[in-house]
Amino acid sequence: MKLIIDETRCKGCNLCTLVCPYKIFQEGTKPNHKGVVVPVLDRPERCTNCRLQKLYGRVLCGVCQMICPDQAITWVDEDPYSPEKVVVEE
Amino acid sequence: MTRLEFWQGNIACAEGALAAGCRFFGGYPITPSTEVAEHMARRLPKIGGVFVQMEDELASIASVIGASWTGTRSMTATSGPGFSLMMENIGYAIMTETPCVIVNVQRGGPSTGQPTRASQGDMMQCRFGSHGDSSIIAVSPASVQEMYELTAKAFNLADRYRVPTFVMADEIIAHMRERIEVPDTVEIVERRQLEKGALPFAAGEDGVPGFPTFGQGHGVHVTGLTHDERGYPSSTDPGVHDRLVRRLVGKVEEARHEMADYEVTNPDAEVVFVSYGSPARSVKQTVRDMDDERVGSLRLRVVWPFPDFALHEFKNARVFLVPELNLGQIAREAARHTAVPVVPIPELGGELHTPAQLAEIAEGYL
Amino acid sequence: MKDFREWLREDRMPHIYCTGCGNGTVINCTLNAVNQMGWEPENTVFISGIGCSSRAPGYIITDSLHTTHGRAIPFATGVKLCRPDLHVVVFTGDGDLAAIGGNHFIHACRRNIDLTVVCMNNYIYGMTGGQGSPCTPLGAISTTTPYGCDEAPFDLASLATAAGANYVSRWTSYHVKELTRAVKAGLETPGLSFIEAMVQCPTGYGRRNKLRDARLMVQWMRDHSVLMKKWKQMEAEGRPLPEDKFPVGEFVRRHRPAMGVPEE
Repeated sequence: MKLIIDETRCKGCNLCTLVCPYKIFQEGTKPNHKGVVVPVLDRPERCTNCRLQKLYGRVLCGVCQMICPDQAITWVDEDPYSPEKVVVEE
Repeated sequence: MTRLEFWQGNIACAEGALAAGCRFFGGYPITPSTEVAEHMARRLPKIGGVFVQMEDELASIASVIGASWTGTRSMTATSGPGFSLMMENIGYAIMTETPCVIVNVQRGGPSTGQPTRASQGDMMQCRFGSHGDSSIIAVSPASVQEMYELTAKAFNLADRYRVPTFVMADEIIAHMRERIEVPDTVEIVERRQLEKGALPFAAGEDGVPGFPTFGQGHGVHVTGLTHDERGYPSSTDPGVHDRLVRRLVGKVEEARHEMADYEVTNPDAEVVFVSYGSPARSVKQTVRDMDDERVGSLRLRVVWPFPDFALHEFKNARVFLVPELNLGQIAREAARHTAVPVVPIPELGGELHTPAQLAEIAEGYL
Repeated sequence: MKDFREWLREDRMPHIYCTGCGNGTVINCTLNAVNQMGWEPENTVFISGIGCSSRAPGYIITDSLHTTHGRAIPFATGVKLCRPDLHVVVFTGDGDLAAIGGNHFIHACRRNIDLTVVCMNNYIYGMTGGQGSPCTPLGAISTTTPYGCDEAPFDLASLATAAGANYVSRWTSYHVKELTRAVKAGLETPGLSFIEAMVQCPTGYGRRNKLRDARLMVQWMRDHSVLMKKWKQMEAEGRPLPEDKFPVGEFVRRHRPAMGVPEE
C-alpha cells in the first residue's frame, strides 16, 4: 500500500505532522497551484499501514487519516509495474 | 354513514386530524387551544401514533417538521404567543417544503392579551409572519363541523402542495359545543412520493416535487439554506435563489383556483359581506334576517391563498363589508383585488358582531 | 461498508471548513464509529442546527436535516419518535447547543430520547466570525469579548450528566481514537448520548488567543486535558483542580428510562 495526500483536498494545516509517530509527514516548503503548502512525505514506506494493512485486513494506526480535517490522507494500492523511474540512493 | 356527536370545536379539530391519518402531535399547552393537545394525548397512543409534549412552541413545530420527514402526517396546535414563537420554523417548513398542519386558535393580542377571548388578529401573521417571500395555505372554520372537516382537508392541502397549512380557528369556534355529523371516513390525498433516483427538489409543472421520505434510501439533504434541485446549499447564486423562491410562492398562488373553497349567497347583491371564521355566523343570520336580494355574502373557507376571483362573482356589488375580529386584515387584502369600495367592520375584545349591528351598517349602503 | 470515507458525499468535497478546523476530524471520528456499528446509510439520519458544526450532515450521503439555529434536537425528536428504527445522530456546536438551543438540550437529556448528540465545542461562534459563546473561557478574547470574557462558561458534559443523559463523555480533536470509541459507545447506548468534542477554531479563536495555528491549538488541548481517572483522583485527594485544565473521558454511563428506543 502507498500513503498519499490528496492535493485537491489538503488545505495545509499540518496536523498530520503533529501526530505521526514516525514523523513521516514533514512540513512542506513550496505552495502548489492552489497556494496550499502540502506536507511532504519522508520515507512513507515506514508507515505501518503501508506494510501491514493488507496483511491484517484493517487500518492499523491511521491517526493521520483520522485527524486530517480535510479527508486528504489515504492509502492506495501500489501498481506493481509502475513505469516510474526508480531512484537508487547512493 | 355518519354519526351524531355533540363536540367542542377543539375536540372536533383533533378528531378531524385523526380521521385524516394524523399520527404525530407535538405541542405545548396554551389557552385556548390546549384541548386539542389533551385530546391527542388521550387518543394517539391508542392508535399507534405519537404524542409528545415539547418544552416550548419552538420545539413543538420543530418536532412536527422532523416527524413529517418520516412520512407521518403531523400537526401542532397553538394560540397567540405560541404562534409567534413558531414563526422561524414555519419559514423552515416553507423553504424545505415540509407538509404539516398548524392549528392556531386565535386569541386577543398583541402579547399575552386576552387568553380566553376570540380574535382573528393573526390572519396576516400566518401569511407574512416568517421572514422572506413565501406563500402558505390557511383555512378558517366557522363551525364545529368545519373544525373537523377543514382540519382533515388541511392535511390533504399540505401534502398536495408540500406547504405548511394553517387551521385559523378562533376561541369562539374552538370552545363552542355544537352538533356535528361525523363521517365514517374522510377523503385522503396522499403525498406524492419522489421517484427513485430523481432530483429531490426538482419540480414538475405544478411546482411541487415528489417527497423523499426518510429511511427509504433517497439520501436527501434537507436544508433551510437556499438550495439547488439536488438539495445542496447554494446560497450566493442569485439565479438559484430567484428560481427557488418564485417556485415556492408560485406553486401555491397559481393553484388558487383549484384549492378555492367559498360560499356565495345572493350573487346579484349590491351590498356584500365578506367573512370567514366565527363572524361568518353573524353574517349568515344578518342575511337571513334582512331577507333582501340586494344583500349578499361571500364566506371564505380557504382564506389563503386569497380567492380574488370570488369577489368578481358579485357583478353588481357596490360595496364589500368585511366584519372581522381585528382592525381590518382581510379587508385590506380584499381591497387590493377590487375597485369596489371595501369597508372593514372591526370588532375587538372577543365579542362577535351582532346581526342587528351588521344589518344596521348594511342598511346604510342600500 | 468497509471504509468510513464511503459515507462522505464525494461530490460536495472539499468542505467549507477553514484550514486546520477540528470539525473535519470530528466528522471522521463520528463516521468511523457509525461505520463500525455496521449501520446502513438508508437507516441513518444526521440532523444539525446552524453553525460551522451543523454543515456536517451536508457532507454525508444519508438522509439529513440541516435545520434552524439551536433546534436540531427537537427536529431529531420528531424523526426518532416516528421512526425509532432509524439511527439518529445530531451534530451541533457550543453556540447552537448551549445558547439558543440550551432548553432543548436539557429537556432531551431529561427525556433521555434515543439520540446521539455530538457537540463540536470550539469555544466561540465560528460561522459568524468568532463571537463569544456560552463556552468561551474566562478571559478569552473574541470579537464580542474584546477585553476578555467576563462570564463563566458552561461545562457541557457536566450539564448533560446533571440533566439525565444516559451516556456522556468528552474528548478533544487530538484524541481521535478515544473520540471514535466514545461516539461508538454513545451509538450503542439506548437513550441520549452526549459526546462533547473540543475542537480548535484557528480562525475565530486561536489567532486572537495566542494560539496562532491549528497545531498549537491541538497541542494546547492535548496538554490541558486531564484523563478522568486522574481528575477524579485529584478530587478525591482534595488537591486543587487546575483552573486552566479540563477532564476528558467518560462522565457517565447509566440506564435511566429512555424514549424512542427501537423494540428488539
